[in-house]
Amino acid sequence: MTNVSTMTPVADQPEAPAKSGARLGLWLTLPAQLLVLFIALFPILMQVYISLTDWSPLDGIPWWRAHELWIGLLNYSDLIADSRFWGAMWRTLFVMAVCVPVQFLLGLGLAVLFVDDFRGKRVLYSTLLVPMMVVPAVAGYMFFMLFQSGGPVNDLLSIFTSDPVRIAWLSDPDLALIAVMVADIWQWTPLMFLILLAGMISVPQDQQMAAILLGASWWRRFFTIVLPRMKSIIIIALAIRVIEIFKIFDTLFIMTGGGPGVATETISVYIYKVTQQELIWSYVAAIALAILIVLSVVSVFAIKRMQRGQET
Amino acid sequence: MQRSISFEVFRYAVILAIVAISLVPTLWMISMAFKPIAEWSAAGADLTWWPRNPTLDNFRFIFGQSSTDLIVALERTAGRPIFASLLTATLGTVIAMTAGTSAAYGLSRFGQGGNLPLALIQLRLFPPMAVMIPVMIMWSFLGLIDNWFGLSLIYGIVTLPFAFWLMKTFFDDMPREIEDAALVEGCTRWRVFVRITLPMMRPALASSALFVFILNWSDYLIALLLTTRDWATIPVYMASLSSSMTGQLYGAKAALGVIAAVPPIIMGIAIQKHLVRGLTFGALKE
Repeated sequence: MTNVSTMTPVADQPEAPAKSGARLGLWLTLPAQLLVLFIALFPILMQVYISLTDWSPLDGIPWWRAHELWIGLLNYSDLIADSRFWGAMWRTLFVMAVCVPVQFLLGLGLAVLFVDDFRGKRVLYSTLLVPMMVVPAVAGYMFFMLFQSGGPVNDLLSIFTSDPVRIAWLSDPDLALIAVMVADIWQWTPLMFLILLAGMISVPQDQQMAAILLGASWWRRFFTIVLPRMKSIIIIALAIRVIEIFKIFDTLFIMTGGGPGVATETISVYIYKVTQQELIWSYVAAIALAILIVLSVVSVFAIKRMQRGQET
Repeated sequence: MQRSISFEVFRYAVILAIVAISLVPTLWMISMAFKPIAEWSAAGADLTWWPRNPTLDNFRFIFGQSSTDLIVALERTAGRPIFASLLTATLGTVIAMTAGTSAAYGLSRFGQGGNLPLALIQLRLFPPMAVMIPVMIMWSFLGLIDNWFGLSLIYGIVTLPFAFWLMKTFFDDMPREIEDAALVEGCTRWRVFVRITLPMMRPALASSALFVFILNWSDYLIALLLTTRDWATIPVYMASLSSSMTGQLYGAKAALGVIAAVPPIIMGIAIQKHLVRGLTFGALKE
């Protein structure tokens, strides 16, 4: 968003358009351009301005007079020293480091099982996709119920033990994070499966057939032919999950509210709490801007690299 | 491909196990939704997997019928939040699809707006939390907080990337011969777009719109920040279904959860052919 105008188009340029077409094209793209500008340019300028002040909606002055509370870069130096922020950051990255590989391996395994035809494939395939279509907030509520101390998760665990299990999952700092990750894995493994299966199906058959004729084992074919051909789709699938887990909020917030204490507080939950409960909006603006800058740099770099990768 | 019997057995065993795991949470909620109060209020050992006496009481309760077993009456019923969710998700879809479709056509056919693909991917990339402070300030300045239009507008912007990318891949796939023929006949480019291209793209438009609708319908965070009461959507309202007197109203929440969860599941299955395309920004078209 920050350097929109310097971006080069990803699309193939169509053949030289006629003049009237070019004008119509401009008109047609105008609404989208305006919406992007509306959500990118103005908010970011406002964010920069407010982040340099000590303004909060409780101060009783409108935001445009926030300069009366000018504090320069103090919010940013606070941010560097904010252990709760860094705690939330590491926690988010930890959830990412656990959930993304698990979702990937489960999704890949399922995709392997689904790649050729068998009886009941269509129905089972559709059924497997259900979790990702459940509204995340509702999923959060489901898992909130499931992980109650008298709930079904403990009932299931009780089958394996002599005494009934009564673990208070969501009020234990360590277990709450596990419960939250279980919910994310439940909901988003289907997405990995869906994308990886589509990628696997699109791998051309001829090379595999040749490899079979040459007597290559299944594992060998999988690792030397199928997986390398899926490289770009695997990167996309992983990138989608990394991005989404970085934003993780709905399910988690409903299950634990970031608690107990700060045990499940991720970046989004932390920002939400400072916004809604502590109302220090200028500080939130600084946090948000810092995140936007880091993500912009990372994303531009990553997209440029991917484009270069596609060309070669 | 030749596969051994033992592989087939293994395949079914694993798939059925995973299908079971992926269905249990949803089924548990459905079961809760049909349990009478006595069966869910005692959040203790006697929770059963199936309702012993199935009832529609929970559904009646959230729509305002007071119940004899439960002393509390609802201050607000679920009707209004359901309407709010429906209206804002629909209008958001209209905004996203209108701007997205026309921009996608402008880029796909006339090469205009070359900055949009990346700008929109970046828009998708950033956590909504990270632009919410200015949005909240702007929205309250414009009087759009807790307002149907305010929520619809932000939904339209947030899902614009999906509408744009989906329609762009559909336009890129569409053969141009028919459009060219109409141009030769003397149609203006605008007429070609409105009279020929759009009607031909009806199935694509429908799938994209459903996809965008599911995303809007699924939102929680934005509604949490931008609505307070009148236009609270289903997930925001759901939190009010608990009180200090009764604790969590499990059954009522489950009933509302079922109402919220069913439409996107049906729509999602209806458009599953295009899900991959939508989710990967057209990088992969199944």
